[in-house]
Amino acid sequence: MVELALPKNSRVQKGRHHPAPAGAKKVKTFKVYRYDPEQPGNPRWDTYDVDIEACGPMVLDVLIHIKNEIDPTLAFRRSCREGVCGSCAMNIGGRNTLACTHGHAEIPGKECQIAPLPSMPVVKDLVPDLTMFYAQYASIEPWLHTKTPEPQQEWRQSPEDREKLDGLYECILCACCTTSCPSYWWNGEKYLGPATLLHAYRWLIDSRDEATGERLDALEDPFKLYRCHTIMNCAQVCPKGLNPAKAIAEVKKMLVDRVI
Amino acid sequence: MATYQFIDHKFDVVVVGAGGSGLRAALGCAQAGLKTACISKVFPTRSHTVAAQGGISASLGNMSQDDWRWHMYDTVKGSDWLGDQDAIEYLCRNAPAAVYELEHWGVPFSRTPEGKIYQRAFGGMTKNYGEAPIQRTCAAADRTGHAMLHTMYGQALAQDTEFFIEYFALDLIMDEGVCRGVTAWKLDDGTLHRFQAQMVILATGGYGRAYFSATSAHTCTGDGGGMTLRAGLPLQDMEFVQFHPTGIYGAGCLITEGARGEGGYLTNSEGERFMERYAPTVKDLAPRDMVSRAMTIEIREGRGVGPKKDHIFLHLDHLDPKILAQRLPGISESAKIFAGVDVTKQPIPVLPTVHYNMGGIPTNFYSEVVTRLGDDPDKVVPGLMAVGEAACVSVHGANRLGSNSLIDLVVFGRSAALRAASVLKAGATQPELKPAMTDGHIARFDKLRNANGATSTASLRLEMQQVMQEDAAVFRTSESLASGVKRLDAVMAKRGDLKVSDRGLIWNTDLMETLEFENLVVQAQVTVVGAANRTESRGAHAHEDFPDRNDKEWMKHTLTWLDDATGAVKIDYRPVHDFTMTNEVAPFPPKARVY
Amino acid sequence: MSTEFRTPLSRARGLGSAKHGAAHWIAERVSALALIPLVLWAVFGVIRLARADFDTAVAWLASPVNAVLMVLLVLVAFWHMQTGVRVIIEDYIHKLLTKSVLLLANLFIVSLAGALAIFSILKVALGGAL
Repeated sequence: MVELALPKNSRVQKGRHHPAPAGAKKVKTFKVYRYDPEQPGNPRWDTYDVDIEACGPMVLDVLIHIKNEIDPTLAFRRSCREGVCGSCAMNIGGRNTLACTHGHAEIPGKECQIAPLPSMPVVKDLVPDLTMFYAQYASIEPWLHTKTPEPQQEWRQSPEDREKLDGLYECILCACCTTSCPSYWWNGEKYLGPATLLHAYRWLIDSRDEATGERLDALEDPFKLYRCHTIMNCAQVCPKGLNPAKAIAEVKKMLVDRVI
Repeated sequence: MATYQFIDHKFDVVVVGAGGSGLRAALGCAQAGLKTACISKVFPTRSHTVAAQGGISASLGNMSQDDWRWHMYDTVKGSDWLGDQDAIEYLCRNAPAAVYELEHWGVPFSRTPEGKIYQRAFGGMTKNYGEAPIQRTCAAADRTGHAMLHTMYGQALAQDTEFFIEYFALDLIMDEGVCRGVTAWKLDDGTLHRFQAQMVILATGGYGRAYFSATSAHTCTGDGGGMTLRAGLPLQDMEFVQFHPTGIYGAGCLITEGARGEGGYLTNSEGERFMERYAPTVKDLAPRDMVSRAMTIEIREGRGVGPKKDHIFLHLDHLDPKILAQRLPGISESAKIFAGVDVTKQPIPVLPTVHYNMGGIPTNFYSEVVTRLGDDPDKVVPGLMAVGEAACVSVHGANRLGSNSLIDLVVFGRSAALRAASVLKAGATQPELKPAMTDGHIARFDKLRNANGATSTASLRLEMQQVMQEDAAVFRTSESLASGVKRLDAVMAKRGDLKVSDRGLIWNTDLMETLEFENLVVQAQVTVVGAANRTESRGAHAHEDFPDRNDKEWMKHTLTWLDDATGAVKIDYRPVHDFTMTNEVAPFPPKARVY
Repeated sequence: MSTEFRTPLSRARGLGSAKHGAAHWIAERVSALALIPLVLWAVFGVIRLARADFDTAVAWLASPVNAVLMVLLVLVAFWHMQTGVRVIIEDYIHKLLTKSVLLLANLFIVSLAGALAIFSILKVALGGAL
């Protein structure tokens, strides 16, 4: 059965409070999910009163400020800080997004809650375990399949065919979409999820690929593909403005196309 | 000291790093039947190659006639004659095949109407030995690195490469001058690992984060360079740090040179297209070192824009919005997010920002790490290779041309794999590792884990970054460099006073940042010492007290060794290879570098 | 520490593709489409019969067109409902035994209800002839 409540050892408790330094100009409170697997006890919500005048404009700047100035034990992933590497995906103010491109001014109110991506096991603090997500991505064989001997130069592709990859290849595998999908929450082991399906479509629609049929065979499954119930959270949250739901609909259309 | 137990692994090849060059090397080794591990502190597609925008250079000739010799000439000239010409020949000859290979793997390159790979103009890329700009840079819109990295990761999966993801490499296992493997810390369960291998390939990228403002990712901490220095091996040409002319003012995020390749231009506060004065032939498409210097001079002379007159405008607003959407969608988005600018209507505020390290671990064009031993300046270090930004082959010399780094990654990643395949026997017996080889690794790890001084890693790192930013900038003087040396000595000395607050082993990012800082600071140290030592101006090293290039004295690579305990730097040199690899091209003799 | 010792790829690949689903997906949509006119017709019929007496209603249903349409409505509606409920059960119930029992129950209940309904319609429609 689907679990509707958190198990006892996962219930989040009230944690520490870190008040703002004296002389802080503009204070905003950040309520951050903390979990340390090496310490006993449940996860907790720590609150940090941050002088946001002392930080850069993005939520990632706030987290780095907290780590540098207030609490070095806070763990989170980050790398490029410009929205292309996909490391700092997390749930900010109830919405999955990238901390590096999400301005803290965009969050209404005086308090902002920051939690790890939903539905994934938490390794520590804001670091989720994305192993299954990556394995599902690998399972669709995300590489070009060709049988025809390779030409001496490039495979030719018309600009129109190339354009079909736009809106697909830009995916940064941040997992914001997949972990926002209720269908994935319920059936994450069997449903591939929006990010993986978007990539599946990226290879299906690539004019150079010669394994379209096999790829469709591998996807045609009540769970792998058809658990998408067009809830559309994926398209809502994608920090790159992509539309995985549309890509999934296109895959479904291709499957119809080959039987009628 | 707490007791630590290593978990052992044995491979033919261990690649450290999973960016463009690491993936290319790893999948090439796997293809060749070598048992290969690729360990990375981040998931492969998070590596900084992902942020490369403009493209990858190769003389495909899709837009107009091209020749790899022209590409070679441009690269030699771009390097201000510090590049090794045999390696540059290797790079430029093999570039087209490397790009076709990427295309065959599925990279979604933009296309010409004939269905060929689209190529754009880039700084310093010319036709017929400097005559006029040429379109040589193959592009996938302005997300070329992203497209390449994701495709190569897919290809690595196809080749069943074994990945060890979120393992932080600690140190090289050295056995009397031979590299036998590498130790690493697994972040998600806190265990320590010993990877034994016949060959270790370092593909750990640059150390841009030694500076305060860099286009580099937070993870660009040059871990391989730090490991190499601690192993008693030298780094080469570390004084050459490239400033990218167009980092977004404030945020430091990259705006590709391809923006100028597509017709963008820079203006000062008078609205003047000032690059016409500095580089009459190629104008805004001059190499990066020249554009960065020109911008710095404009700002210095009071012609900067903005309320503080401290930056420059990059104009794209005259370009067709359709072209912008098609060819520069990524930077349009970045400019919106980080500068609040609509590129179709407003100019982007930009500033030269640290971007690339020409220097690194010295290698030959087989990617084997070399050092100077007595009279032999090309002594190969057995068991160790380096590729990508971590390495100094040296194809970029004193200044890298835009789009030459992506081609460097794949050409030398491939060359490393080919060399490993030819010199190694799969499954060959390896000598037993002795605890003495790794005791130091554990001691250092444990010392930092329990560091309980008064200086936080963040504050000492900031101090180092400020020194580098102020004293080893676009323009350097004897005074600034002397100050830099002194101030960095102070930073080095404070390493003993570090404080790490998190004592855990699982995802202890406080400890990880400290280990990264240790790698950064030693490279910062050799950078300023090397810069203070080089009394000339060449490429990215612009020394105002010695404004001219001095080929007689300084046409040589700087080698720097560091004594980790004292912070003392030892300097020696390697000659520049002013000869080519084959007879199919004659070496390009040095001449004045004007564009 | 994970107690799952299967490799992630093995878990992700799971039992492989069932290589069906498109037909089911199409049928769901086709039945939904078919229900639009059928339901409109039925609503219209019911409104018309709202004030009629029993005999008029029986006569209405006994007409060949109405009887056939009603049989179709019941068939399609119950089939559509069965597939919909099936998806809901698959979504939320993960234990194979519970799931199988519920799926069977869904099928049997719907079949029974559908069969009863169709039989009743036929009885009314063919009643005159018997």
